[in-house]
Amino acid sequence: MRFKAAAFIVFASALALAGCKFVKTADKEKEAQSGAFDPDKLVAEMWQGKVLPYLEKRAAPLPEVLSATAADPDQAGGKYGYKARQGNAPWTFIARVDGVIVSEETKSRAGFVDVDVDGDTKADVRISIGPAIRGTALRDSLDFVDFNSFKNQIEWAQFGKSFNTHVNASLLEKLPREGIVGKTVKATGAYPLPAKGQLPQLVPATLAIGG
Amino acid sequence: MNITRRLITVGFAAVMAAGVAMPSFAADLIAIITPSHDNPFFKAEAVGAEAKAKELGYEALVLVHDDDANKQSQLIDTAIGRGAKAIILDNAGADASVAAVQKAKDAGIPSFLIDREINAAGVAVSQIVSNNYQGAQLGAEEFVRLMGEKGNYVELVGKESDTNAGIRSKGYHDVIDEYPDLKMVAQQSANWSQTEAYSKMETILQANPDIQGVIAGNDTMAMGAIAALQAAGKKDVIVVGFDGSNDVRDSIKAGGIKATVLQPAYAQAQLAVEQAHDFITSGKTPAEEKQLMDCVLINADNADKLETFALKD
Repeated sequence: MRFKAAAFIVFASALALAGCKFVKTADKEKEAQSGAFDPDKLVAEMWQGKVLPYLEKRAAPLPEVLSATAADPDQAGGKYGYKARQGNAPWTFIARVDGVIVSEETKSRAGFVDVDVDGDTKADVRISIGPAIRGTALRDSLDFVDFNSFKNQIEWAQFGKSFNTHVNASLLEKLPREGIVGKTVKATGAYPLPAKGQLPQLVPATLAIGG
Repeated sequence: MNITRRLITVGFAAVMAAGVAMPSFAADLIAIITPSHDNPFFKAEAVGAEAKAKELGYEALVLVHDDDANKQSQLIDTAIGRGAKAIILDNAGADASVAAVQKAKDAGIPSFLIDREINAAGVAVSQIVSNNYQGAQLGAEEFVRLMGEKGNYVELVGKESDTNAGIRSKGYHDVIDEYPDLKMVAQQSANWSQTEAYSKMETILQANPDIQGVIAGNDTMAMGAIAALQAAGKKDVIVVGFDGSNDVRDSIKAGGIKATVLQPAYAQAQLAVEQAHDFITSGKTPAEEKQLMDCVLINADNADKLETFALKD
């Protein structure tokens, strides 16, 4: 089975290359040598070693973050979040969610689950489950990446999108989508300061749906 | 040959000396250079910068380069010649403007860029850049939502020589292309122009009468598109723009255009002048050269609060 899948990928790659079997590797090397911008690779390289440890270390339980934010968004941002030193970006908060799925949206490609974390059966947070993920919350939560080290806003934006692509491929595509309302969920992720009256929209870096 | 060179050197030194001697009467001039004020967005930038400059006690020299890099170069010369203390610039091209900003720097005049960035660091003191890509994604997400994630749509693209036209288009497609049931039936440049958008839209409608949406790279093109759609009796087509102009605000309130994205033009121009003032008076530079200004989605929920490229709280 695994062999078949592998064979299929090789075959598909060969088709895509339209007969130039060995060019792809050579091109990749050439790209690497010339330092061509490859945001997917950048994200893949920092994910396990830097991104996940940072998020796990910074993440506080969501109810704690929400009540601190309600009291004083700027103070809460400094403690539970991050924002770029310059410009006008909002705070991006980092939180750990432990709750129950109260509703789901899986018809839209920008799918999500609404989660209750305080036991009142009302949604407290909306977790993106893809495949289309809005915004750049994961990138914006990291204090070790910076727009000024990128060539321009296109590369900075592609870098942001690559976090979503990575989460989709490594985490969200494997999630069950059927009958998940009522199940427990644990997640760690980031969300930008929501507009008044709106749920925080969390992009997960880790996510597990239980029984 | 040697004599010529020496003469040029002497002449140059004389000019430099004159330049150094001059500031006694031109010490408080700030040059504000933007694209044409025909687009209210650029006018708002110039007005915002000029108001802040005057508030801080400067004289303002307001100029327009009409997106012509040669003209921009001449205007930088004018600013140098007039002994400006700083230049506030919405530039005429990410690559073409680097030399012009460098020329000002070499003459000892710091530049503070607004709206558009240049492809070089360390030449301008600051680059306060509208996050066009983030804004385009906001607009596209709203467009996708309004379209119900499906249907035929048209994209009107801005002027090709302007990097923001490409950035916005890319931001739109990075969102919209994730929805396979949304089909782009036509993509044309209307060069940021309302009249051109009107005529392009008329032509597109003849070939594609069955469209449900139009996403435009700026508000003037969105205004042209909605006028053509209304003239053709198509009142249910979703139109989304970009910039946050008062014209589009009024259209949203009247149920015409559905959404746009506000670039904080007035605020970022004022911030640039404040940073210029800090630099002139105390040599203080901002912590980061490039500063990204996020855009805000405008729709029927908040259109009331929009006035001249600023959102009231």
